[in-house]
Amino acid sequence: MQVAAAETWRDILAPQALDLFLLALFLAFALVSFFRKSVRLKYVALAFAVGYLGFVKSSLVSISDVFRLTDLSLPPFKYSLAWYLFTGFVVVSTVLWGRLYCGRICAYGALTQLMDAVIPAKLRVDIPPSIERRAAWIKYGLLGGVILYYLVTHDLASPVQYAEPFWMFTRFGTTSMWIGLAVLLTATIFVRNLYCRFLCPVGAALGIISNLTVFRIKRWSECNSCKICEKTCEWGAIRGPKIVKTECVRCDDCERLYMDQQKCPHWLIQIKRARPSVARPATAGPSIAASSAPHS
Amino acid sequence: MKNLAAVAFLLGTVGVAVVLAQRIITNPKPEAHLKALFPTAAAFSPLSGEPLHFTAFATDPKSTPSAPPVGYAFWTTDIVPNEHGYHGPIHVLIGLDLKGVITGAIVDYDSEPYGYFSVEPPKFAAQFKGKTIKDAFVVGRDVDAVSRASISINSATRAIRDSSRIIAQKFLPEAAK
Repeated sequence: MQVAAAETWRDILAPQALDLFLLALFLAFALVSFFRKSVRLKYVALAFAVGYLGFVKSSLVSISDVFRLTDLSLPPFKYSLAWYLFTGFVVVSTVLWGRLYCGRICAYGALTQLMDAVIPAKLRVDIPPSIERRAAWIKYGLLGGVILYYLVTHDLASPVQYAEPFWMFTRFGTTSMWIGLAVLLTATIFVRNLYCRFLCPVGAALGIISNLTVFRIKRWSECNSCKICEKTCEWGAIRGPKIVKTECVRCDDCERLYMDQQKCPHWLIQIKRARPSVARPATAGPSIAASSAPHS
Repeated sequence: MKNLAAVAFLLGTVGVAVVLAQRIITNPKPEAHLKALFPTAAAFSPLSGEPLHFTAFATDPKSTPSAPPVGYAFWTTDIVPNEHGYHGPIHVLIGLDLKGVITGAIVDYDSEPYGYFSVEPPKFAAQFKGKTIKDAFVVGRDVDAVSRASISINSATRAIRDSSRIIAQKFLPEAAK
Protein backbone atom coordinates (compact mmCIF):
# COMPACT_ATOMS: atom_id res chain seq x y z
CA MET A 1 0.00 0.00 0.00
CA GLN A 2 1.29 3.46 -0.85
CA VAL A 3 1.05 6.41 1.45
CA ALA A 4 0.05 9.55 -0.45
CA ALA A 5 3.11 11.62 0.59
CA ALA A 6 6.30 9.67 1.29
CA GLU A 7 8.55 10.94 4.09
CA THR A 8 12.14 11.85 3.45
CA TRP A 9 14.94 11.17 5.95
CA ARG A 10 15.06 14.90 6.52
CA ASP A 11 11.38 14.81 7.58
CA ILE A 12 12.20 11.97 9.98
CA LEU A 13 15.44 13.34 11.44
CA ALA A 14 14.68 17.06 11.71
CA PRO A 15 12.15 16.79 14.58
CA GLN A 16 14.52 14.49 16.51
CA ALA A 17 17.81 16.32 15.95
CA LEU A 18 17.72 18.60 19.01
CA ASP A 19 16.70 15.78 21.37
CA LEU A 20 19.42 13.52 19.99
CA PHE A 21 22.06 16.24 20.31
CA LEU A 22 21.16 17.18 23.89
CA LEU A 23 20.89 13.56 24.98
CA ALA A 24 24.25 12.63 23.43
CA LEU A 25 25.80 15.71 25.04
CA PHE A 26 24.42 14.80 28.46
CA LEU A 27 25.45 11.14 28.26
CA ALA A 28 28.97 12.18 27.24
CA PHE A 29 29.08 14.65 30.12
CA ALA A 30 27.85 12.01 32.58
CA LEU A 31 30.64 9.69 31.44
CA VAL A 32 33.23 12.46 31.82
CA SER A 33 32.00 13.14 35.37
CA PHE A 34 32.22 9.40 36.07
CA PHE A 35 35.75 8.97 34.77
CA ARG A 36 37.00 12.17 36.39
CA LYS A 37 35.50 11.10 39.76
CA SER A 38 34.60 14.74 40.24
CA VAL A 39 31.98 15.60 42.86
CA ARG A 40 31.25 18.94 41.21
CA LEU A 41 30.74 17.45 37.74
CA LYS A 42 28.58 14.72 39.22
CA TYR A 43 26.24 17.27 40.79
CA VAL A 44 26.05 19.15 37.48
CA ALA A 45 25.09 15.84 35.81
CA LEU A 46 22.45 15.18 38.50
CA ALA A 47 20.96 18.66 38.04
CA PHE A 48 20.85 18.20 34.26
CA ALA A 49 19.25 14.77 34.69
CA VAL A 50 16.46 16.23 36.83
CA GLY A 51 15.93 19.29 34.64
CA TYR A 52 16.25 17.94 31.12
CA LEU A 53 15.69 14.17 31.26
CA GLY A 54 13.13 14.61 34.04
CA PHE A 55 11.00 17.69 33.75
CA VAL A 56 11.54 18.49 30.06
CA LYS A 57 11.57 15.03 28.45
CA SER A 58 10.34 12.59 31.13
CA SER A 59 12.89 10.13 29.74
CA LEU A 60 13.46 7.52 32.42
CA VAL A 61 13.76 3.77 32.12
CA SER A 62 10.39 2.55 33.34
CA ILE A 63 8.97 -0.77 34.41
CA SER A 64 7.08 -0.63 31.09
CA ASP A 65 10.48 -1.02 29.40
CA VAL A 66 10.90 -4.30 31.28
CA PHE A 67 7.38 -5.37 30.24
CA ARG A 68 8.26 -4.81 26.60
CA LEU A 69 10.74 -7.67 26.87
CA THR A 70 7.81 -10.01 27.53
CA ASP A 71 5.91 -8.60 24.55
CA LEU A 72 8.98 -8.40 22.30
CA SER A 73 7.59 -4.96 21.55
CA LEU A 74 9.84 -2.02 20.68
CA PRO A 75 9.06 1.51 19.47
CA PRO A 76 9.72 2.21 15.75
CA PHE A 77 13.45 2.73 15.30
CA LYS A 78 13.48 5.61 12.81
CA TYR A 79 11.01 7.70 14.83
CA SER A 80 12.53 6.91 18.24
CA LEU A 81 16.25 7.41 17.77
CA ALA A 82 16.70 9.20 21.11
CA TRP A 83 14.94 6.35 22.90
CA TYR A 84 17.27 3.79 21.32
CA LEU A 85 20.34 5.87 22.18
CA PHE A 86 19.14 6.27 25.77
CA THR A 87 18.10 2.65 26.33
CA GLY A 88 21.17 1.32 24.53
CA PHE A 89 23.38 3.47 26.72
CA VAL A 90 21.67 2.22 29.89
CA VAL A 91 22.11 -1.45 28.97
CA VAL A 92 25.67 -1.12 27.67
CA SER A 93 26.84 1.08 30.57
CA THR A 94 25.32 -1.39 33.06
CA VAL A 95 27.19 -4.27 31.47
CA LEU A 96 30.42 -2.27 31.40
CA TRP A 97 30.36 -0.50 34.78
CA GLY A 98 27.23 -1.55 36.70
CA ARG A 99 24.26 0.59 37.72
CA LEU A 100 25.78 3.85 36.49
CA TYR A 101 22.30 4.81 35.24
CA CYS A 102 20.81 4.64 38.73
CA GLY A 103 23.53 6.74 40.30
CA ARG A 104 23.88 9.52 37.75
CA ILE A 105 21.35 9.51 34.91
CA CYS A 106 17.96 8.46 36.29
CA ALA A 107 16.10 11.72 36.95
CA TYR A 108 14.35 10.37 40.07
CA GLY A 109 17.57 9.00 41.54
CA ALA A 110 19.25 12.31 40.75
CA LEU A 111 16.43 14.19 42.47
CA THR A 112 16.74 12.17 45.67
CA GLN A 113 20.51 12.56 45.67
CA LEU A 114 20.15 16.32 45.29
CA MET A 115 17.61 16.26 48.14
CA ASP A 116 20.14 14.35 50.20
CA ALA A 117 22.77 17.02 49.52
CA VAL A 118 20.64 19.84 50.94
CA ILE A 119 18.68 18.11 53.71
CA PRO A 120 20.41 18.38 57.13
CA ALA A 121 22.21 15.14 57.98
CA LYS A 122 20.77 15.15 61.51
CA LEU A 123 17.36 14.23 60.06
CA ARG A 124 18.70 11.00 58.59
CA VAL A 125 17.82 7.66 60.12
CA ASP A 126 20.55 5.08 59.65
CA ILE A 127 19.06 1.69 58.87
CA PRO A 128 20.85 -1.15 60.69
CA PRO A 129 22.91 -3.16 58.16
CA SER A 130 21.01 -6.38 58.86
CA ILE A 131 17.68 -4.72 57.97
CA GLU A 132 19.24 -2.86 55.05
CA ARG A 133 20.51 -6.12 53.60
CA ARG A 134 17.08 -7.74 53.79
CA ALA A 135 15.22 -4.63 52.56
CA ALA A 136 17.37 -4.57 49.41
CA TRP A 137 15.55 -7.74 48.34
CA ILE A 138 12.13 -6.03 48.37
CA LYS A 139 12.78 -4.52 44.94
CA TYR A 140 13.37 -7.96 43.44
CA GLY A 141 10.07 -9.14 44.90
CA LEU A 142 8.36 -6.08 43.44
CA LEU A 143 9.98 -6.71 40.04
CA GLY A 144 8.72 -10.31 39.98
CA GLY A 145 5.30 -9.23 41.27
CA VAL A 146 4.69 -6.51 38.67
CA ILE A 147 5.93 -8.72 35.80
CA LEU A 148 3.55 -11.47 36.89
CA TYR A 149 0.73 -8.93 37.25
CA TYR A 150 1.40 -7.62 33.75
CA LEU A 151 1.58 -11.09 32.17
CA VAL A 152 -1.77 -12.00 33.68
CA THR A 153 -3.67 -8.72 33.18
CA HIS A 154 -1.77 -6.87 30.45
CA ASP A 155 -2.55 -3.75 32.50
CA LEU A 156 0.46 -1.57 31.93
CA ALA A 157 -0.94 1.67 33.31
CA SER A 158 -1.33 0.64 36.98
CA PRO A 159 2.28 -0.44 37.57
CA VAL A 160 3.54 2.70 35.80
CA GLN A 161 1.33 4.89 37.98
CA TYR A 162 1.63 3.08 41.30
CA ALA A 163 4.79 0.93 41.35
CA GLU A 164 7.15 3.72 40.33
CA PRO A 165 7.15 7.50 40.84
CA PHE A 166 8.67 8.47 37.48
CA TRP A 167 5.36 9.83 36.17
CA MET A 168 5.90 12.78 38.54
CA PHE A 169 8.09 14.45 35.92
CA THR A 170 5.14 14.55 33.49
CA ARG A 171 3.10 16.44 36.14
CA PHE A 172 0.07 14.33 35.19
CA GLY A 173 -1.20 12.42 38.19
CA THR A 174 -4.38 11.68 40.09
CA THR A 175 -4.84 12.81 43.71
CA SER A 176 -3.97 9.33 45.01
CA MET A 177 -0.78 9.28 42.90
CA TRP A 178 0.32 12.65 44.28
CA ILE A 179 -0.42 11.57 47.85
CA GLY A 180 1.64 8.39 47.37
CA LEU A 181 4.49 10.45 45.95
CA ALA A 182 4.35 12.91 48.84
CA VAL A 183 4.61 10.02 51.33
CA LEU A 184 7.56 8.54 49.41
CA LEU A 185 9.46 11.83 49.19
CA THR A 186 8.79 12.58 52.86
CA ALA A 187 10.16 9.17 53.85
CA THR A 188 13.19 9.87 51.60
CA ILE A 189 14.05 12.87 53.80
CA PHE A 190 14.75 10.44 56.64
CA VAL A 191 15.98 7.37 54.73
CA ARG A 192 18.32 8.45 51.96
CA ASN A 193 17.72 7.01 48.48
CA LEU A 194 14.87 4.95 49.93
CA TYR A 195 13.14 4.13 46.65
CA CYS A 196 16.31 3.40 44.68
CA ARG A 197 17.81 1.13 47.33
CA PHE A 198 14.79 -0.84 48.43
CA LEU A 199 11.84 -0.46 46.09
CA CYS A 200 12.75 0.28 42.48
CA PRO A 201 11.88 -2.64 40.13
CA VAL A 202 13.91 -1.06 37.33
CA GLY A 203 16.90 -0.88 39.69
CA ALA A 204 16.33 -4.57 40.46
CA ALA A 205 16.33 -5.41 36.73
CA LEU A 206 19.54 -3.41 36.23
CA GLY A 207 20.93 -5.07 39.36
CA ILE A 208 20.44 -8.44 37.70
CA ILE A 209 22.23 -7.21 34.55
CA SER A 210 25.01 -5.73 36.68
CA ASN A 211 26.10 -9.26 37.59
CA LEU A 212 27.75 -9.14 34.16
CA THR A 213 29.74 -5.97 34.98
CA VAL A 214 33.05 -5.97 33.12
CA PHE A 215 34.94 -3.11 34.80
CA ARG A 216 34.48 -3.51 38.53
CA ILE A 217 35.70 -1.32 41.35
CA LYS A 218 39.18 -2.29 42.44
CA ARG A 219 39.82 -3.30 46.02
CA TRP A 220 43.08 -3.15 47.95
CA SER A 221 44.16 -6.02 50.17
CA GLU A 222 43.76 -3.56 53.07
CA CYS A 223 40.01 -3.45 52.31
CA ASN A 224 39.70 -6.82 54.08
CA SER A 225 39.97 -5.10 57.44
CA CYS A 226 39.29 -1.41 56.77
CA LYS A 227 35.72 -0.12 57.16
CA ILE A 228 36.06 3.49 55.92
CA CYS A 229 34.43 2.89 52.54
CA GLU A 230 31.75 0.63 54.00
CA LYS A 231 30.72 3.38 56.41
CA THR A 232 30.83 6.02 53.70
CA CYS A 233 28.76 4.12 51.12
CA GLU A 234 25.30 5.66 51.22
CA TRP A 235 23.91 2.83 49.07
CA GLY A 236 24.79 0.02 51.48
CA ALA A 237 26.76 -1.63 48.69
CA ILE A 238 29.92 -2.51 50.62
CA ARG A 239 29.94 -5.44 52.99
CA GLY A 240 33.35 -6.04 54.49
CA PRO A 241 35.89 -6.56 51.72
CA LYS A 242 33.18 -7.14 49.11
CA ILE A 243 31.32 -4.69 46.90
CA VAL A 244 27.80 -5.92 46.21
CA LYS A 245 27.62 -5.10 42.53
CA THR A 246 23.83 -5.39 42.35
CA GLU A 247 23.52 -2.55 44.89
CA CYS A 248 26.46 -0.42 43.75
CA VAL A 249 25.44 2.57 41.58
CA ARG A 250 29.00 3.75 40.88
CA CYS A 251 28.59 6.94 42.91
CA ASP A 252 32.40 7.26 43.16
CA ASP A 253 32.43 7.84 46.94
CA CYS A 254 34.58 4.78 47.71
CA GLU A 255 36.76 5.28 44.64
CA ARG A 256 37.52 8.83 45.73
CA LEU A 257 38.53 7.42 49.10
CA TYR A 258 40.84 4.89 47.44
CA MET A 259 42.60 7.77 45.74
CA ASP A 260 42.83 9.89 48.89
CA GLN A 261 46.37 9.33 50.10
CA GLN A 262 45.59 10.98 53.41
CA LYS A 263 42.67 8.74 54.29
CA CYS A 264 43.02 5.35 52.59
CA PRO A 265 45.09 2.93 54.75
CA HIS A 266 46.55 1.41 51.61
CA TRP A 267 48.40 4.63 50.85
CA LEU A 268 49.18 5.42 54.46
CA ILE A 269 50.90 2.04 54.85
CA GLN A 270 52.76 2.48 51.55
CA ILE A 271 53.97 5.91 52.60
CA LYS A 272 54.97 4.72 56.03
CA ARG A 273 57.00 1.89 54.52
CA ALA A 274 58.66 4.18 52.01
CA ARG A 275 59.49 6.93 54.51
CA PRO A 276 59.53 5.37 57.98
CA SER A 277 60.93 8.51 59.58
CA VAL A 278 57.89 10.58 58.60
CA ALA A 279 54.96 9.94 60.92
CA ARG A 280 52.15 11.45 58.83
CA PRO A 281 53.00 12.65 55.31
CA ALA A 282 50.82 15.19 53.54
CA THR A 283 50.82 13.46 50.17
CA ALA A 284 52.47 10.50 48.54
CA GLY A 285 54.69 10.80 45.50
CA PRO A 286 53.70 9.39 42.12
CA SER A 287 56.43 6.73 42.32
CA ILE A 288 54.66 5.17 45.30
CA ALA A 289 51.30 5.25 43.56
CA ALA A 290 52.77 3.64 40.45
CA SER A 291 54.24 0.82 42.47
CA SER A 292 50.92 -0.31 43.92
CA ALA A 293 48.50 -2.22 41.77
CA PRO A 294 44.98 -2.77 43.12
CA HIS A 295 43.21 -6.08 42.71
CA SER A 296 39.63 -6.71 41.62
CA MET B 1 19.30 -31.83 36.60
CA LYS B 2 18.88 -28.50 38.38
CA ASN B 3 20.10 -26.64 35.31
CA LEU B 4 17.72 -28.58 33.09
CA ALA B 5 14.80 -27.66 35.34
CA ALA B 6 15.86 -24.00 35.28
CA VAL B 7 16.05 -23.99 31.46
CA ALA B 8 12.65 -25.72 31.22
CA PHE B 9 11.15 -23.17 33.61
CA LEU B 10 12.64 -20.28 31.63
CA LEU B 11 11.40 -21.65 28.29
CA GLY B 12 7.95 -22.27 29.78
CA THR B 13 7.75 -18.71 31.12
CA VAL B 14 8.85 -17.22 27.80
CA GLY B 15 6.32 -19.44 25.97
CA VAL B 16 3.44 -18.30 28.19
CA ALA B 17 4.53 -14.69 27.80
CA VAL B 18 4.62 -14.96 24.00
CA VAL B 19 1.19 -16.64 23.88
CA LEU B 20 -0.27 -13.96 26.16
CA ALA B 21 1.32 -11.26 24.04
CA GLN B 22 -0.46 -12.53 20.92
CA ARG B 23 -3.94 -11.72 22.26
CA ILE B 24 -6.27 -10.09 19.77
CA ILE B 25 -7.38 -6.84 21.29
CA THR B 26 -9.23 -5.07 18.45
CA ASN B 27 -12.73 -4.23 19.64
CA PRO B 28 -15.05 -6.84 18.04
CA LYS B 29 -18.20 -4.76 18.67
CA PRO B 30 -17.57 -1.20 17.48
CA GLU B 31 -21.23 -0.44 16.56
CA ALA B 32 -21.57 2.48 18.99
CA HIS B 33 -18.29 3.95 17.70
CA LEU B 34 -19.48 3.62 14.08
CA LYS B 35 -22.71 5.42 14.92
CA ALA B 36 -20.69 8.20 16.57
CA LEU B 37 -18.55 8.60 13.46
CA PHE B 38 -21.53 8.60 11.06
CA PRO B 39 -24.61 9.69 13.09
CA THR B 40 -26.86 9.93 10.02
CA ALA B 41 -25.91 6.53 8.54
CA ALA B 42 -28.71 3.96 8.49
CA ALA B 43 -26.49 0.88 8.18
CA PHE B 44 -22.92 -0.32 8.12
CA SER B 45 -21.33 -3.22 6.24
CA PRO B 46 -19.45 -5.83 8.23
CA LEU B 47 -15.68 -5.35 8.52
CA SER B 48 -14.51 -6.67 5.15
CA GLY B 49 -12.64 -5.90 1.93
CA GLU B 50 -9.04 -5.18 1.13
CA PRO B 51 -7.92 -3.25 3.08
CA LEU B 52 -10.39 -4.08 5.85
CA HIS B 53 -13.07 -1.41 6.35
CA PHE B 54 -16.70 -0.74 7.24
CA THR B 55 -18.87 1.02 4.66
CA ALA B 56 -21.48 3.48 5.98
CA PHE B 57 -24.77 3.75 4.05
CA ALA B 58 -27.44 6.48 4.19
CA THR B 59 -30.12 3.83 3.63
CA ASP B 60 -30.01 0.16 4.55
CA PRO B 61 -28.66 -1.81 1.56
CA LYS B 62 -30.89 -4.71 2.60
CA SER B 63 -33.95 -2.66 1.54
CA THR B 64 -32.17 -0.59 -1.11
CA PRO B 65 -29.49 -2.73 -2.73
CA SER B 66 -28.19 0.21 -4.76
CA ALA B 67 -27.74 2.41 -1.65
CA PRO B 68 -24.63 4.54 -2.19
CA PRO B 69 -21.98 4.74 0.55
CA VAL B 70 -21.66 7.93 2.57
CA GLY B 71 -18.24 7.12 3.93
CA TYR B 72 -15.85 4.54 5.31
CA ALA B 73 -14.69 3.58 8.77
CA PHE B 74 -11.54 1.62 9.52
CA TRP B 75 -9.11 0.62 12.23
CA THR B 76 -5.66 2.16 11.94
CA THR B 77 -4.27 -1.19 13.11
CA ASP B 78 -5.75 -2.94 10.05
CA ILE B 79 -4.49 -0.39 7.54
CA VAL B 80 -1.01 0.38 8.96
CA PRO B 81 -0.31 -2.69 11.13
CA ASN B 82 3.37 -1.86 11.48
CA GLU B 83 2.73 1.52 13.10
CA HIS B 84 3.80 1.23 16.71
CA GLY B 85 3.67 3.62 19.66
CA TYR B 86 5.94 3.66 22.70
CA HIS B 87 4.75 0.23 23.78
CA GLY B 88 2.42 -1.06 21.08
CA PRO B 89 -0.08 -0.24 18.36
CA ILE B 90 -2.68 2.42 19.22
CA HIS B 91 -6.11 1.24 18.04
CA VAL B 92 -7.95 4.18 16.47
CA LEU B 93 -11.25 3.87 14.60
CA ILE B 94 -11.59 6.57 11.94
CA GLY B 95 -14.49 7.77 9.85
CA LEU B 96 -13.78 9.27 6.42
CA ASP B 97 -16.45 10.83 4.19
CA LEU B 98 -16.46 10.78 0.40
CA LYS B 99 -14.77 14.21 0.22
CA GLY B 100 -11.75 12.99 2.16
CA VAL B 101 -12.75 14.70 5.38
CA ILE B 102 -12.31 12.85 8.67
CA THR B 103 -15.72 12.64 10.36
CA GLY B 104 -14.17 11.57 13.64
CA ALA B 105 -11.49 9.47 15.32
CA ILE B 106 -11.90 7.29 18.40
CA VAL B 107 -8.97 5.89 20.39
CA ASP B 108 -10.38 2.53 21.47
CA TYR B 109 -7.34 0.79 22.96
CA ASP B 110 -3.71 1.52 23.66
CA SER B 111 -0.97 0.15 25.87
CA GLU B 112 1.03 3.36 26.13
CA PRO B 113 2.44 3.95 29.63
CA TYR B 114 1.62 7.66 29.40
CA GLY B 115 -1.49 7.13 27.27
CA TYR B 116 -3.65 8.47 30.10
CA PHE B 117 -2.58 12.03 29.43
CA SER B 118 -1.58 11.83 25.74
CA VAL B 119 -3.74 9.77 23.36
CA GLU B 120 -6.58 8.70 25.68
CA PRO B 121 -8.14 12.06 26.62
CA PRO B 122 -10.97 12.66 24.08
CA LYS B 123 -9.51 16.04 23.12
CA PHE B 124 -6.62 14.27 21.37
CA ALA B 125 -8.86 12.38 18.94
CA ALA B 126 -11.33 15.29 18.65
CA GLN B 127 -8.75 17.50 16.96
CA PHE B 128 -8.73 15.22 13.90
CA LYS B 129 -12.45 15.71 13.19
CA GLY B 130 -12.80 17.95 10.14
CA LYS B 131 -9.23 17.44 8.91
CA THR B 132 -8.80 16.41 5.29
CA ILE B 133 -6.40 13.82 3.97
CA LYS B 134 -4.46 16.68 2.36
CA ASP B 135 -3.68 18.36 5.70
CA ALA B 136 -0.11 18.23 7.02
CA PHE B 137 -0.69 16.19 10.23
CA VAL B 138 2.48 17.59 11.79
CA VAL B 139 2.68 17.34 15.58
CA GLY B 140 3.41 20.76 16.98
CA ARG B 141 1.91 22.49 13.94
CA ASP B 142 -1.61 21.32 13.15
CA VAL B 143 -1.71 18.61 15.84
CA ASP B 144 -1.20 19.52 19.52
CA ALA B 145 2.14 18.33 20.92
CA VAL B 146 2.61 16.75 24.35
CA SER B 147 6.36 16.86 24.76
CA ARG B 148 6.50 14.27 27.54
CA ALA B 149 4.73 11.61 25.46
CA SER B 150 5.97 12.47 21.99
CA ILE B 151 6.48 8.90 20.72
CA SER B 152 2.81 8.03 21.47
CA ILE B 153 1.39 11.26 20.03
CA ASN B 154 3.51 11.03 16.89
CA SER B 155 2.63 7.38 16.33
CA ALA B 156 -1.14 7.93 16.67
CA THR B 157 -0.94 10.95 14.34
CA ARG B 158 1.01 9.02 11.71
CA ALA B 159 -1.42 6.11 11.98
CA ILE B 160 -4.43 8.42 11.43
CA ARG B 161 -2.75 10.28 8.56
CA ASP B 162 -1.42 7.27 6.69
CA SER B 163 -4.46 5.02 7.10
CA SER B 164 -6.81 7.83 5.99
CA ARG B 165 -4.72 8.51 2.91
CA ILE B 166 -4.56 4.80 2.03
CA ILE B 167 -8.36 4.40 2.32
CA ALA B 168 -8.88 7.59 0.31
CA GLN B 169 -6.53 6.34 -2.41
CA LYS B 170 -8.40 3.08 -2.64
CA PHE B 171 -12.07 4.05 -2.30
CA LEU B 172 -12.69 7.78 -2.75
CA PRO B 173 -13.56 9.48 -6.04
CA GLU B 174 -10.60 10.96 -7.93
CA ALA B 175 -11.52 14.54 -6.99
CA ALA B 176 -11.18 13.81 -3.27
CA LYS B 177 -7.74 12.15 -3.41
